[in-house]
Amino acid sequence: MTGTLHLNWWLLAPEYILCAYAALLVLIDLFSNRAQKEMLGYVAAGGCALSAAVSLIWVDDKKDFANLIDVDNYTTLFRVFFAGIGFFACIASARYVKDRLLHAGEYYALILLAVVGANGMAAARELLTAYISLELLSFSLYVLTSYAKFDLRSNEGGLKYMLLGAFSSAIFLYGVSLVYGATGSTEFAAIGDKLAGGTGGIREGLFLGLSLMIAGLGFKVAAVPFHMWTPDAYEGAPLPVTAYISAISKSAGFALFLKLFTESFLPLIDDWRYFIAALSAATMALGNFVAIQQHNIKRLLAYSSIGQVGYLLMGIAALSPAAGSALVLHMVGYAATNLAAFVCIIIFYNWTGKEEIKDFAGLAERAPFLALSLSIALFSLAGMPLFAGFATKFILFQSAADQGLLWLAGVAVFFSFVSLYYYLIVIKEMYLEKPDEARRFPIPWREYAAVAVLIGAVFLVGLYPRPVYDLVESSTNVVFQQAPGGQQAAAQR
Amino acid sequence: MGMSEVWLIPAIPAAAFAVLLLFGKYLPRGGDWLAIGAIFASFVLFFPVLVDLLDKVDQPGFAGGGKSWEWISFDSFRINLGFHVDQLAIVMLAVVSFVTLMVQVYSVGYMKGDPKYGWYFTCMSIFAASMLTLVLADNLLLLYAAWEGVGFCSFLLIGFWWERRSAAEAAKKAFITTRIGDMGFLIGIILLYKEAGTFDISQIFDYARSGGYSDTYLTAAVLFLFAGAVGKSAQFPLHVWLPDAMEGPTPVSALIHAATMVVAGVYMVARMFPLFDLADPVALDVVLALGLTTVLLSAFIGLAATDIKRVIAYSTLNSLGLMFVALGAGSVTAAMFYLLVHGFFKALLFLASGSVIHATEQQDVRELGGLAGKMPVTSTVFAIGALAMIGIIPLSGFWAKDEVLHSAESGENVLIFLVVLLSLFVTGLYMTRLYILTFLFEPKNEEAHHHAHDAPPVMTVPLLLLAGLTLVGGFVAFDFVGEALGFPGGIGKFVFAREPEAFDLNVWIAIASTLLAGGGLVVGWLVWAGRAEPARRASEVFRPLHILLLNRFYFDDIYQFAIDRVILAVGSLIAWFDRTIVNDTGVDGSARLGYFTGFEMKFLETGKLPNYALAISAGVVVIAIVFLIFVA
Repeated sequence: MTGTLHLNWWLLAPEYILCAYAALLVLIDLFSNRAQKEMLGYVAAGGCALSAAVSLIWVDDKKDFANLIDVDNYTTLFRVFFAGIGFFACIASARYVKDRLLHAGEYYALILLAVVGANGMAAARELLTAYISLELLSFSLYVLTSYAKFDLRSNEGGLKYMLLGAFSSAIFLYGVSLVYGATGSTEFAAIGDKLAGGTGGIREGLFLGLSLMIAGLGFKVAAVPFHMWTPDAYEGAPLPVTAYISAISKSAGFALFLKLFTESFLPLIDDWRYFIAALSAATMALGNFVAIQQHNIKRLLAYSSIGQVGYLLMGIAALSPAAGSALVLHMVGYAATNLAAFVCIIIFYNWTGKEEIKDFAGLAERAPFLALSLSIALFSLAGMPLFAGFATKFILFQSAADQGLLWLAGVAVFFSFVSLYYYLIVIKEMYLEKPDEARRFPIPWREYAAVAVLIGAVFLVGLYPRPVYDLVESSTNVVFQQAPGGQQAAAQR
Repeated sequence: MGMSEVWLIPAIPAAAFAVLLLFGKYLPRGGDWLAIGAIFASFVLFFPVLVDLLDKVDQPGFAGGGKSWEWISFDSFRINLGFHVDQLAIVMLAVVSFVTLMVQVYSVGYMKGDPKYGWYFTCMSIFAASMLTLVLADNLLLLYAAWEGVGFCSFLLIGFWWERRSAAEAAKKAFITTRIGDMGFLIGIILLYKEAGTFDISQIFDYARSGGYSDTYLTAAVLFLFAGAVGKSAQFPLHVWLPDAMEGPTPVSALIHAATMVVAGVYMVARMFPLFDLADPVALDVVLALGLTTVLLSAFIGLAATDIKRVIAYSTLNSLGLMFVALGAGSVTAAMFYLLVHGFFKALLFLASGSVIHATEQQDVRELGGLAGKMPVTSTVFAIGALAMIGIIPLSGFWAKDEVLHSAESGENVLIFLVVLLSLFVTGLYMTRLYILTFLFEPKNEEAHHHAHDAPPVMTVPLLLLAGLTLVGGFVAFDFVGEALGFPGGIGKFVFAREPEAFDLNVWIAIASTLLAGGGLVVGWLVWAGRAEPARRASEVFRPLHILLLNRFYFDDIYQFAIDRVILAVGSLIAWFDRTIVNDTGVDGSARLGYFTGFEMKFLETGKLPNYALAISAGVVVIAIVFLIFVA
């Protein structure tokens, strides 16, 4: 671990690109009139695409930057994944931001900076870098949440999000300091090696730190009981921001969760497994039950996303190479599906300015493609066969069952079943109810193309998950090889 | 281009289907050119595959070729899907691709002006894709999917004119009746999978040959498989749907309910024949017994039926029964040979009758007659088809039927052979009757007769091509014909279950069958010629028998009775249980519980920031305390 630092700045090129685009966007914004604001979204999307393309340089490579950042398959996968989320968020925002928000340049700049933060969370190889990246992501999202500055709900949601975020960051940081105190290092690998050698007299401090870190990460991914900001922030935030938070905040949280717990805390898995499993069960229960009661589509998806976090936490509780891959696969499928659902809702909102579930009545007659796409996305979220949700849930539940968490898989299956109910409510509105007026909606081609791509991905993962699974597996394997004893375990396999 | 590209053959119509389904209404002419172009492409691709296969067929240990993909792979749970072509599949492929092409071209004329013209070709494309997949599937899962696919297409196309109540009813009946068999098929597949751990057909064969299945287990499994064939190929006792299926457009009857889909059952049994061979002999005895029953029943009902298409439908049942008799007697060669030529002459008969219906808008033989002069092409090709069906030398039907007789004769039970011979006589009778009543003597309905004329070339050319094959198709039995075409010999040396069979014409069988078939023809002529007085008298003398035949041995009534009195009675009991216990208590009760839980839980979300912070703090404290007490 000691020795010269590898200050290879070139490794951070994807992040530089995002930052440069962020600065560029603010600049262009100054010189563009209102009609041109829509273009900013596509420029920002181009930045994401470029960043993703550049990050592919390090496929199957394994480097580190100054012992702070890993650049390996895991990082590359998440760089592409996060940039992809940013890409679709920007496309989905273009029209919305032009029509409804001020300061478009800063808006896209913040989206790109959030991607930088998320990248850092997946790439970090030590706790402080992870923490700083987490804050970069969070700060961007706080501001974005309250971006509709004349909308009280937006202000309220943003404020709550920020205050609770600060609170939980403090908790996380306290946990970090306790773990540092117990193990003498902030590097994941060093912590892991230390813990692999036994916990001796450091157990109390270590476990207190671990509890605090679980709480801090639980807040980021919105696990019960640290989830309470989610519905308010989701409802208050401008729609594309809600879509963005739902995809990137959770994914980045889990990217860090998975990497940290594999590389550092895997030796203690028998001690913490059941906490995570309990959180997982509680999160599934609360998210899915309360979702039934919602009338607002954003709050519905907020609770449904909490339910999904419950499934994802199973992957941490069952932590094994198979479970880790299953977790990431489900996350990728979930993010694509959820973005598809949100883009549909954004298109609907652009037309009508409404977001109650009953406003979707008769959508199938007014916009058949949109209603079908949204139905597919919702069915996939519920885990119906043919769609991504089924394949990824199947693999995830199976991997949990293999690790002796069959009961938790049973709970998850039960709540998947419950979730179908509230997804069907939306589908019922669209297909069985009569619309207020029969006029067809105009067709926004660019947004429809984005939806079509995402729905295509949902079908691909649903029908033929093999290639995506292989991809994910090759990246999570990197992390598991770095885990204490991971190389031997890999050699044994 | 060779056997490894064989997947293209079903893929092209499938792609055409996707385009037609999504954009069909924007295409000129409803997209018929796309559907026909796709099946034409598949038909053309058949030849390089055949050439490649013939190239390699002499290699020792040749077991076909194809391509397979890994579909699902998770730990030990692996499923591969792929396409495979061997001698058996290529024969079936020849029938399916050629007849499908002919029927689709013919349909351009027949369906012209129909308001659902485009939808018709959309259905035809997905049927072609499913049927070709069924033929080429290398594993039971894909085979089953395609099997259900063709069943669904059959449902769509029987009920194509669903505005007519009878068509909708017939579609429903066909679907439900075949589903009963399909259920058995699925159970059979699961039984085979459960022990072998694979759906791959050749691997299942290997597993069975290595003695993996116990004797009873394998016998049960193949009997379940056979149940699927009984439903799909309309064998007794699930034969009732096929005559009703004639409610569909006539080209559909020709394609699905004569040449291709209904023979899928025969094909499937032939494909899985190594398993039937390994199982207890009782399995093949069951095949033979049901085939024989069907042969007899259908031959007699055909005598009394008055609808031109239904008569041909009963003759189809008859033919299908013969194929199962051949299979039951252990001769895949005979069954597949009969299947091949049957595909041609039966499609011909249906399409020719379609011409009649198209010209006269009548399909009851009591309203037809005297059409030979007005429709020379149709009546000629119909005669060729009918003579082939009866089995007159040298038409293709004769040679195929001879193979079947040969296989039946080689069994130990003479009775089987006699029953088949008897059925030949009856076949001669009713085919003659059908021809006389439709084409000869006085027209019974002047109006219909007056309008009659031969169909346009788009319909007659397929008829003539099929007639040509009906004339010469039987010669593939001979070694020298096969060798001239590049095959290793006659069909018996190409498609066989146990070992190559040389074609050998047993003169006594040939004479007996010709005498009986010809006798049927002559007696039929005597009975129905002119004003058909003998027929009327016969029906009066044997009145109860006539009524029995008219009512198709009351099978439909017995089934209807069973459905009304037994199934619906049990059903209403279950419905009561379902409504009060399952629905009101179980479903609604748990739904209400879930709704209530959600209602209570939603108040946790107070909207007040301090409460949220409190929840976080409480969570941390609880986790920390539990950690410190129980773990540290």
